Amino acid sequence: MKVERNTVSKYKSKKYRQNERVSYLMLSPLIIGFLLFSIIPMIWAISMSWCYYDTITTRVVYWDNFRALFQDRSYWNAVGTTLFFAVMKMPIELPLALVLAVLLNRKIRGAGIFRAVYYLPNVISTALVALVFSNIFSYFGVINSALQEWGILDQPIDWFGSKISAMWVIVMADIWKSFGINVLYFIAALANIPEDVYESAMLDGANRIQTFFRITLPMIAPTAQIILMMSLIGTLGTSEMVLVLTNGAPGGSTYTVNAYIFQNYAPGIAGSTVNVGYGCAMSLVTGLMLSGITLIYMRLSAKLKEVY
Amino acid sequence: MKKSRKIPNLFAYIVLTAVLLVTLFPLFYTVSASFKTNSEILANPAAIFPESPTFQNYIDAWNSDVFDIKRMTFNSIYYTVAIVAATLVTSSMGGYVFARGQFRGKSFWLAAFSLLMFFSMGSVTVYPLLKILNFLHVPKSLPGLMIVRMLGVNIINIYLVRSYVYSLPVGIEEAAEIDGCGFAGIYFRIVLPLLKPIMATIGVLAFQGSWNDYLMPMIFTLSNPKQQPLIVGVVALSNSGESAASYNLVFAGTTIALIPVLLAYAVGNKYFVSGLAAGAVKG
Repeated sequence: MKVERNTVSKYKSKKYRQNERVSYLMLSPLIIGFLLFSIIPMIWAISMSWCYYDTITTRVVYWDNFRALFQDRSYWNAVGTTLFFAVMKMPIELPLALVLAVLLNRKIRGAGIFRAVYYLPNVISTALVALVFSNIFSYFGVINSALQEWGILDQPIDWFGSKISAMWVIVMADIWKSFGINVLYFIAALANIPEDVYESAMLDGANRIQTFFRITLPMIAPTAQIILMMSLIGTLGTSEMVLVLTNGAPGGSTYTVNAYIFQNYAPGIAGSTVNVGYGCAMSLVTGLMLSGITLIYMRLSAKLKEVY
Repeated sequence: MKKSRKIPNLFAYIVLTAVLLVTLFPLFYTVSASFKTNSEILANPAAIFPESPTFQNYIDAWNSDVFDIKRMTFNSIYYTVAIVAATLVTSSMGGYVFARGQFRGKSFWLAAFSLLMFFSMGSVTVYPLLKILNFLHVPKSLPGLMIVRMLGVNIINIYLVRSYVYSLPVGIEEAAEIDGCGFAGIYFRIVLPLLKPIMATIGVLAFQGSWNDYLMPMIFTLSNPKQQPLIVGVVALSNSGESAASYNLVFAGTTIALIPVLLAYAVGNKYFVSGLAAGAVKG
């Protein structure tokens, strides 16, 4: 009873009212931007999923867009490419980052320099990274000519001529850009393991490999879960890297799902007669799938947290 | 015991240095190639160092009519400066209000802003965005996108400021209040000056994000290439038909576009790293 009276009077007090007004005033740029430039466009795009819209005429088509989407070969190919990309990239990038972090965690001279350089590609524009990699992997580029000079290749490889080799270039560029951040995360995770755990394991006669698998890995499991999740979200959402590096080459086969939607439905990029409503349905399904995968992953890996 | 440690350490140095070299190589090659003539780039791409280093590419890029680097650099600068300034203001106010403000709807707005992180409709939202801008009489242009970005919610920045404000002792603010300072006055006179370290982090992240921005500025400047920021222009040049004839310009342009971020990273390394969580979530 007392509490209730308190809250009522709290809202009525002059000071509370004034504080509230000032708070909303200070928040107003963000609220305006949020409603005008995020929420309204999002609601528009979601509701357009049930419409035919070619930027001139709009008509409601109910579930037609979704029905067509489930039979759309090229869309599901792009979904497959995205998963393929994650399967190629993550098993290389994360163990690599962990190994580097473990090495840097020892008393290494110049550890700061190694860390700073590893993180360096992270601050560079994805578009420029893609441009640099498309240059060095081009037919007459430095990679091909170096491989020829060393006698590894007889003739240059057309890296962007087959899906698999083009995917490898994208994977390399993406790992190059983002492995450093994971190294820093793993270093932070390793720093949290108390030294005495290792000492007692040593006393019990455990060797390096055993301590790594029995102590290090379980102890960093909670952080590793977060690292994995962020890497997964970033990887599945990839678009800019693909759009600039290969733009789908060869023949649209390397489009990830977001790159595919961008190329086919972004204003000015897409043809002028395209059904934007269909693109909205595609974005909605994709957005829900990505959120769903993240949720499922969080559920499944909750176990990881309980390891220690 | 001592002896067995030395060998693995040598192994560690070898691995770490190899990765270091692989990390530096693409950048080094790009910068080095920007000092080569176009015929040297095409004839002998494997050469790491230019045969006779030349500044000609930079001079050509500076005077080129097709590739107006002066204008593009100017576009990138005003776009970046405006967004950084606006982000500093909105994020610090937002973080302060969510930390110390008392108002109905506080947790609703924080939750609403946070939800943006978990669901996105992607590039199709540009259609309604353009309609809204059109309704407000803002044309599809780089300044138009700039306004959108200036008012954009960056929830990570808000969380960074909020937790920083939480860590400040409440005593100072209470004393100021007793002296008659209002809620906004406390922000401007007491809290804002104390926020310097976290503002540096947010500023660096906003700078990195807006200078490196590519897809959205590309869409917004499609019909008006004069407004292209530097990175959009460099990518457009490399995609254009005559790119083989202007490899040298692409390399020089790439290097110029790289310099500001690399310089900022060299000077403010720790601020980039302290905003690490932010960078990671952005992907």
